[in-house]
Amino acid sequence: MRVEGLRKKAGGRQILRGISFEVPSGATLGIIGASGSGKTTLLRCLNGLERIDDGFIECGEVRLEAGLSEEEYRRRAKLLRRRVGLVFQHLHLFPHLTVMENIVEAPIHVLGMKREEAERAARELLEEVELQGLADRYPESLSGGEQQRVAIVRALIMRPNVLLFDEPTSALDPRRSASVRALLRRFVAQGHTMIIVSHAIRFLEDLADQLLYMESGEVIEYDRATELLQDPKDSRTRDFLRQAI
Amino acid sequence: MSGELSGRRALVLFLCIAFSVAGCAQEERVLRWGADPSGGAPYVFTDPAHPDRYIGYEKEMVEALAARMGRRAVMVATDWEGIVPALERGEFDIIVNGLEPTADRAARILFSKPYYVFQLQLTVRRDERVINSLEDCRNRLVGTLGNTAASRLLAQKGIRFRSYAEPGTAYRDLELGRVDAVLMDVPMEIYYARGNPRLRPAGPPFYRGVYVIGLRKGDEALKAEVDAAIEAIMRDGTLERILRKWDLWDDAQAELQAAVKRGEEPRYEMTAATFNWTDALARLARAALITVLLAFGAMFIALSLGLSLAVGQSKGPSWLQAVCTVYIEFFRGTPVLVQLLFLYFGLPQIGIALPGWLTALVGLGLNYAAYESQVYRAAFEAVPRGQWEAAYSLGMGPALAFRRIILPQAFRIALPPVTNDFVSLFKDTSVAYAISVWELATAYRELANATGEFLLLGAIVSAFYLAMSLPLAHIARRLERRQQRRQALQALVVEAAT
Ligand SMILES: Nc1ncnc2c1ncn2[C@@H]1O[C@H](COP(=O)(O)OP(=O)(O)OP(=O)(O)O)[C@@H](O)[C@H]1O
Ligand SMILES: [Mg+2]
Repeated sequence: MRVEGLRKKAGGRQILRGISFEVPSGATLGIIGASGSGKTTLLRCLNGLERIDDGFIECGEVRLEAGLSEEEYRRRAKLLRRRVGLVFQHLHLFPHLTVMENIVEAPIHVLGMKREEAERAARELLEEVELQGLADRYPESLSGGEQQRVAIVRALIMRPNVLLFDEPTSALDPRRSASVRALLRRFVAQGHTMIIVSHAIRFLEDLADQLLYMESGEVIEYDRATELLQDPKDSRTRDFLRQAI
Repeated sequence: MSGELSGRRALVLFLCIAFSVAGCAQEERVLRWGADPSGGAPYVFTDPAHPDRYIGYEKEMVEALAARMGRRAVMVATDWEGIVPALERGEFDIIVNGLEPTADRAARILFSKPYYVFQLQLTVRRDERVINSLEDCRNRLVGTLGNTAASRLLAQKGIRFRSYAEPGTAYRDLELGRVDAVLMDVPMEIYYARGNPRLRPAGPPFYRGVYVIGLRKGDEALKAEVDAAIEAIMRDGTLERILRKWDLWDDAQAELQAAVKRGEEPRYEMTAATFNWTDALARLARAALITVLLAFGAMFIALSLGLSLAVGQSKGPSWLQAVCTVYIEFFRGTPVLVQLLFLYFGLPQIGIALPGWLTALVGLGLNYAAYESQVYRAAFEAVPRGQWEAAYSLGMGPALAFRRIILPQAFRIALPPVTNDFVSLFKDTSVAYAISVWELATAYRELANATGEFLLLGAIVSAFYLAMSLPLAHIARRLERRQQRRQALQALVVEAAT
């Protein structure tokens, strides 16, 4: 996935001011930044939920760029979403559907998968995230960590080329957050391409290959993870890291 | 009916009071007579040429009587169906309104000597092939006026009939095919149907009954005065002249007057209110069934049309949004009663004549659709935006996301208020009485009017309504509580996630 010069204005304010990066297939990019720096907005753009004002987003042969007609933008955004899965910060599970139905809804109605096939795939994934017993429960009866993993499976079953995570551990206690981290590590090992937004730097250590630090919608520093953590070039990155640790 | 007249009636009342005050000052005696002038031709009705004046053969007759009695006649407009209680309450002194001296009325009021012999006439559409007499009307629907000799005769013979408050409406519904025949006193038939090329009489007039003047129990002195006056205007030919003028003179009148002049008590036929409880309960049960049918049918229309309106109003192109808004504001801003009357009487003028029950069902459905659309709209707005976005991010299009994700959640949110609206709709079916649909309110009015059993029948009808609305209200409350619990839980979950 490649992003170049991405700008986004909302509510009369410039929220993203020219973001560029490139995540090679199989790599993981970690995005860090203070609250309100535009991380969520960036992920929403990458998922085609927001219209960008300038620059482009490229994923495989799909290219979403500023200046397209409304209709064409919507068409490409839809294609982009087939390649890019998003796990929302607030998850947005469907409260009227069981865990299983939450997961198989899109494969059946969007991809046209057969129900048995979709349910088999869902069961495999649920087992992988250790939720096999919960298929028939409703989201409201699950703990925060369980809901988090259901949301991950719901995105994963669409077999996206790139998986986006918005603050995957913000709702979790340290033990649960460690188990989500273990899960994401497994995804890294399986060769998934991921972009993970977090303000917990520890969480991204040995998970992300690259790190991107942003402030007020601007990329302050973008480097290999080890470089950025051990030897930050920008004083603002240094301040952020010092406060975070 | 009563509503449309109340203004005029208030004016008349005011004039009555004003005149009676003036009358007292001059020691002039008045004769206050009660009659229903709406659709009251040729008895007493609004003069088409001077809408501020009443005319009619009975008005002329009362004036002749009053002159004989040395009084001044003052008319009090009232409702036909409540005319006896109004007399008892003292709103006027005598009833002059084509009143038939039935046994049940005799128990409550006094009758004067008869002044007119009436017959009944059956009327059908010109192209009618089957109906030539009352006997042919079995298993057909006959229109008539409520609480008249005709309606009592039909009830006695077990012929299904629909009661109207005005003869004009009954004949119009006959033309439109909403009833198969109309049975009415000859004077009304002459005035409302005789000249209509689309209608024809079915067989000769039959049955002989009389009209009398009704007085309060205990008003014996006034009765003697009235009887003497009736005899006097028969003797001097005044009544004959009036009846001839209105084209109502016939051999039967000559016979009646000859007998009265000879001092005889002529015998005529008389109908009686037939009332048995099993029949009344069966008719009430049928009314309850129609009420249920109306409520469910109307709710089905309200829910499906309401959904389209809600979607059109919030998601449609701007012209559609405007159309939906106009629809909603129109139906919420005008009374459902007026809407029903419009559908029932207005639509036939452009060639759409629906039967009464269907008019009520569609009318209530159209009206409630406006309200349900707003319930839906609020419910759609109550579904968090994140649900749309989660659906989009999984690759769903707007239509799929709406159908599979938003609609089911909105529906749950809407369920308690919709159930509450259903309870209101249930009770609102009673407006169908305005277009003579045989539902519970109509059944109550008619059975109670025919029998005087207002209390007992009122209790039974209320029980019918309650038996249906209480369980629904109970369900609505339970749904509401469940919803509140779920919302509390979801709030907790969201809190935990942030
Ligand atoms: N639609 C919008 N209209 C106006 N302002 C917006 C809109 N969306 C986001 N913003 C603003 O843009 C800024 C960045 O928001 P964003 O949610 O992307 O931050 P974030 O980095 O994800 O913060 P957090 O770490 O708290 O989640 C915030 O100040 C927010 O108020
Ligand atoms: Mg955020």
